[in-house]
Amino acid sequence: MRTSLAIGIPVLAGLLLPISVQAHHGWQEFDEKAEVTVIGIVTDFHYVNPHCVVEFEVKDDKGGIQKWQGEFSNPGVLSRRGWNAAYLEAGDKLTITGHPAKKTGVLALHVTRILSAGGELKLELRE
Amino acid sequence: MKLRPTVYFLVALVLSKPALAQNSAESEKGIPVTDPLVIAKCGGCHTRDERGNMQRLSWERTTPEGWQDALKDMILREGLSVTPAEARSIVKYLSSSHGLAAEEAETVRYDPERRIHDETAMVSESLHETCGKCHSFARALAWRRSVSDWKQFADSHGTRYHISSTTEAVEYLAKTAPLHSPAWDAWNTRTGASSLSGRWLVTASMPGYGIYYGEMQIDRDGDDEYNTRATLTSIRDGSRILRTGRTIAFGGSAWRGRSKGNGPAAAPDDPSTEAREVLLIAADQSTADGRWFWGQYQEFGFEVKLRRAFSAPTLLGVDRPSLKTGSRASRIRLIGDHFPDPVAATDLNFGPGVTVRAITSNSPDEIVAQLDVASSAALGKHDVAFRGSSLPGALAIYDRIDYLRVTPDSIVAAFGDRTHPKGYQQFEAIGYQRGPDGKSHTADDVALGPVDAAWAVQVFHAAEGSSSDSVGAMNSRGLFTPADKNPNLNFDCWVIATARDEKDTNSAPLVGKSYMVVTVPTYTFNGRRYVRDLDRWVDDGPDR
Repeated sequence: MRTSLAIGIPVLAGLLLPISVQAHHGWQEFDEKAEVTVIGIVTDFHYVNPHCVVEFEVKDDKGGIQKWQGEFSNPGVLSRRGWNAAYLEAGDKLTITGHPAKKTGVLALHVTRILSAGGELKLELRE
Repeated sequence: MKLRPTVYFLVALVLSKPALAQNSAESEKGIPVTDPLVIAKCGGCHTRDERGNMQRLSWERTTPEGWQDALKDMILREGLSVTPAEARSIVKYLSSSHGLAAEEAETVRYDPERRIHDETAMVSESLHETCGKCHSFARALAWRRSVSDWKQFADSHGTRYHISSTTEAVEYLAKTAPLHSPAWDAWNTRTGASSLSGRWLVTASMPGYGIYYGEMQIDRDGDDEYNTRATLTSIRDGSRILRTGRTIAFGGSAWRGRSKGNGPAAAPDDPSTEAREVLLIAADQSTADGRWFWGQYQEFGFEVKLRRAFSAPTLLGVDRPSLKTGSRASRIRLIGDHFPDPVAATDLNFGPGVTVRAITSNSPDEIVAQLDVASSAALGKHDVAFRGSSLPGALAIYDRIDYLRVTPDSIVAAFGDRTHPKGYQQFEAIGYQRGPDGKSHTADDVALGPVDAAWAVQVFHAAEGSSSDSVGAMNSRGLFTPADKNPNLNFDCWVIATARDEKDTNSAPLVGKSYMVVTVPTYTFNGRRYVRDLDRWVDDGPDR
């Protein structure tokens, strides 16, 4: 039986790229009009797509520990600025500035600037 | 003047017509086309000169997937009509005579093997803008073209997809992916590639299931076509899988085929599931390696290595990838072929600081030994050797696990619905030692193999007002299954692995994380339509 490929073409179910993360959340979950600066100690750093994430602990007014999460940029952009997966390490003391999450009780930042303990600028992402 | 989309399409169509893309500009030597079917089916537009060169075709080379895509494009856009047998024959001829040398295919193999790969080699933001915004850079680098053909391609591609400037891309691609290269010249002059027929030894690993070993019988069934029959045994639990399949060895180096197990797949990640096989065959045809895969995102699969079987003792693998310094009488299984009897401790070598305490048992395909590792043993990868057969870096010696890396470290999974299958994800927690520089997360870190872990998923971003209670669940093997109900929303999650038997340097739980987005079903890819069945016909043949 001759079957023509030009007829009865089905719509593709999968092209198949081993896709990386693309369908992630946007920055609208952060209040871009507000800015917060905190001093924290890094507990983990994830150099991954779609956003790099730094997890850090901040001492609150009562001496307790708050667990924060800062999100920013991606490895493709940061690698061209000299970053790598070891650029931030657990134990690093950082001053982190960013836009806070809109949702009450969520300790997360869209990070715009990171300074080392010595005041060295490690990242500036202002547009 | 603004052009409507339909006009853009017509402009693109006209520009892509080879009759107008005059090859009189070609200064490079073309690759003559001699296949009567290709001449008959393509010659209406791609005119052939007295040297046998066909417009465009003679100044292009690519992978089997590249030629399949090109043929689909001609069917969809130009109305080419071919039967399944003709489609298969055309792809086979072009992939073999206008293909890539093994060295060229090596650089882009992650694309046809459907691997997750960070294309960090993207040389500039401009190239990322031109090529990388829509597809992997490997899709461009999988083609080899003359300078003139790169320009013609870029002109039509730029028009069709509204790319403002392709100048830098053309300069880069013409230099990086030329039509003629020493590797291709050498590959092209190889004559009468030897047959793959015979007995081969197989090692394979599948995330969540561990290592398999076994053998494959390959029997010739036509020009460059073979039937395969593989028997794989799990090192973890001894279970066996029989897989039968069929493959084509395009140009003697590009293995493309399909195989399936001897029973129905009981689960999405069942190792017996039908798989597409993409392997790269070494130039001397003594080994081949690559991936067998399946799933909505090709998220499941085996890492596979084939070695031609010889009569000499051959070491294939070990059942454990790492041992701790100071460990005593650790049991290790060495898998191989044609091991003699008896075997002495002195036949084995694991490098300085690792001593064979005893040989526990031996058979033609397995040696079980007990090892002592000195406290002062050199840290890092050690070679494992049995007499003249060795496995480079097969055993890692470590003092402690410094961190867990969850792989893949960022990924998507997809909800399904009535007409769209779910996209699952399989994770593994891999232990790492910090390496000679003493610093974690650097290039010299030593992978120690999968670590037994407890798994959890934690949502950290969800749409306002949505419930993240039923995103999905992890099983004990690290497989994430999205929830049955599709909420049509995205969820950003951490996939968290906590080692069951290891602690960090502060005696706290050893934890690793992966960033996973659980998203909507795969409704479309890139908004394009393809001819799905063509892939199948090329792999299997029209009569199967």
